[in-house]
Amino acid sequence: MKKIVSSLLVASMAATSLAACGGSSTTATTAAATTAAAAETKAQEEKATEAATEAATGDAVTLKWALWDASSITYYQPLIDAYKADHPNVNIEMIDLGSTDYSTVLGTQLSGSGSDFDVVTIKDVPGYMTLVNKGVLEPLNDKIKEAGIDLQQYGGITDQVTINDNLYELPFRSDIWVLYYNKDVFDKAGVAYPTNDMTWEQYDELARKVTDTTPGSEVYGAHYHTWRSTIQLDGILDGKNTIVGGNYDFTKPYYEMVLKQQQDGVCMDYATLKTQGLHYSDAFAQGNVAMMNMGSWFIATLINKIKSGEYTDCTNWGMVKYPHAEGVEAGSTLATITALALPTSAPHKDEAWDFIKFVTGENGAQVLAETGNIPAMTNENIVSAIASMDGFPQDDTSKDALITSHTYLEMPANDKSSEIETVLNEQHDLIMTESSTIDEAVQAMNEGVQAIIG
Amino acid sequence: MTAATTVKSVSVEEANRRKLKQALVAYSFIAPNFIGFAIFTLGPIILAMIMAFMEWDGSNPWKFVGIQNFVTIFSDDRFMASLKNTVIYSIFTVPLTLIIALGLAILLNQKIKGRNFFRTVTFFPYVASLVAVAAVWNMLFTPAKGGVINQLLINIFHVPALKWAASPKTVLMTIIMFSIWKNMGYYMVIYLAGLQNINTELYEAAGLDGANVWQKFKYVTVPQLKPTTFFVIIMLTINCFKVYDIVYMLAGGSNGVINKSAIVLVYYIYEEAFRNWNLGIASAGSLVLFAIVLAITIIQFSGEKNYAND
Repeated sequence: MKKIVSSLLVASMAATSLAACGGSSTTATTAAATTAAAAETKAQEEKATEAATEAATGDAVTLKWALWDASSITYYQPLIDAYKADHPNVNIEMIDLGSTDYSTVLGTQLSGSGSDFDVVTIKDVPGYMTLVNKGVLEPLNDKIKEAGIDLQQYGGITDQVTINDNLYELPFRSDIWVLYYNKDVFDKAGVAYPTNDMTWEQYDELARKVTDTTPGSEVYGAHYHTWRSTIQLDGILDGKNTIVGGNYDFTKPYYEMVLKQQQDGVCMDYATLKTQGLHYSDAFAQGNVAMMNMGSWFIATLINKIKSGEYTDCTNWGMVKYPHAEGVEAGSTLATITALALPTSAPHKDEAWDFIKFVTGENGAQVLAETGNIPAMTNENIVSAIASMDGFPQDDTSKDALITSHTYLEMPANDKSSEIETVLNEQHDLIMTESSTIDEAVQAMNEGVQAIIG
Repeated sequence: MTAATTVKSVSVEEANRRKLKQALVAYSFIAPNFIGFAIFTLGPIILAMIMAFMEWDGSNPWKFVGIQNFVTIFSDDRFMASLKNTVIYSIFTVPLTLIIALGLAILLNQKIKGRNFFRTVTFFPYVASLVAVAAVWNMLFTPAKGGVINQLLINIFHVPALKWAASPKTVLMTIIMFSIWKNMGYYMVIYLAGLQNINTELYEAAGLDGANVWQKFKYVTVPQLKPTTFFVIIMLTINCFKVYDIVYMLAGGSNGVINKSAIVLVYYIYEEAFRNWNLGIASAGSLVLFAIVLAITIIQFSGEKNYAND
């Protein structure tokens, strides 16, 4: 009896611990399965044939790729298809970790030894810094040298994410911020379109010109999404200031401008936007927003949703370069990069590196451009590929809008970036809900961030 | 003689063995649950107690730092704000939920028309999905002047519109109101059960003695409901200190970042652990939370003992 009981105990213990170990990978596979099913049944069919071929050849490899929004981001599957055309023995499984908490979830998955990702997508610089500090990403310098990759093709953006002389990610997508506008709104108001060379004063004036505050038929001259970056970061485009410097006096003029617009009904009320969680694309699609500053990732969304008939009130859109401060060259804008990295725990490092090289290189760039996204690696072919995409505005101004003179990362590489963000977000919120004055909030930003960076 | 002793000792041994067997069978029945508890709850608790004195980012080796983590959190504005908010939240939510739940229970214990309908209506917020009702709540309590509740305030009560969850001055109040509305139904059901256990003869006897409605409530209902009230207070207090989801849904905004005006202990712990990867600091925070909940429970239990001795 004793024996039976103890063996029972052992068995149940083993079962529980097995369940514990299997936990994360089971979820991951389920997520992947769901995504694959939702996104592309065709892909699954291909996979089946693939599996058959693999069984025949015998040395098939399945790479697990961590990413977000697999069903709505349009370039994952084309990238995989393009890669598989040349590498029939490699299978790529997308693991969707969701977009809201992507960096947090990825950090958790790569902690300890629970993950078996071969390739991970890096969403933002704070997320990148976290993983580099944790020591879970493979340094890529030697591999880059060996493969003969010329980092110049990324336009210097890799320098901004080099940590202690080492690079732990390669960018494949580089988005810049532009000013979108709805031509119909301007036509209706009889006001000239924005241009590629506007100062913030001219922009403010233009926004006020097209604004209509008649209740029931409001037209908003400008729209700012609730992110602090839509206002705070306008101040770093003169190249003299940084968002991690500990002094935020330079943000004051921008807050003054937007707050005044908010009070005058030129833009929607921040507090309402925040509690209702209105997405910027929905705001723009309503057709009563004249101008909106947003990243170039919105181009693909706009083109696709207009094509599918979902957006009917903003079909006649265009874009111009970001407004700039007096005395600063037009084309100075914010940039954000999306990159691929190789986790130290990757089971198939060589195959994964090969895939990373493909996506971040010229072939991957071509695929991205064809789907309306801006690759990190740009040359003239790529820019013209984007501009010639069906649905892209056909005026020359919109095409030129993508040409930049200076780009600044939304968040530069810094050990304390997530703590700094907390302080900046909080004060941004207090200013925009008019709970603090601009001076008080900027003072609090200065003190809060200085305490963090020491 | 010798034979008898042997028999006796054998039977004692036999009895002991049988006892042991029974115990082992019993243990084997609770084993699945206990093993789960040990791995997923007890283990992490012990680990957190150790980790509170360490510096750890989840990957690099642990480093012993003594009480540094506690020094850090008690000098951290955000932690102190979260402590203050959690206490204020509990101070208002516990008594208000309790009183409203009791009131509703008494009302819905009467023989009125549509009683079951009203019981369902009151219980509904508790079972409804938090995400869905928070979205509706945010629409009603929108900070815009044209919002439903703000229109009521302006046109009927002639007071200025409020910014509700969007303003640091009113965000905690909004969260408290939401929490009371969402949870009152659950505690009402518990009180209903308590009320139905009260012997009706007690009311009859009180009535014969000339007690009015208020006296019946004070001298019969309240004392008879003491065990229920005790249970409700403990559950409410612990749940209040554990609050996270409601705050995240109402005050989180589009980037999920909660400001000092609304941050609560559990959110602080989450933020330190999984956003900033300071697992030591997060563990120190959870130990403080643990100590608070433990202290409150001990005080309430000793209060309960006094009741019993009355």
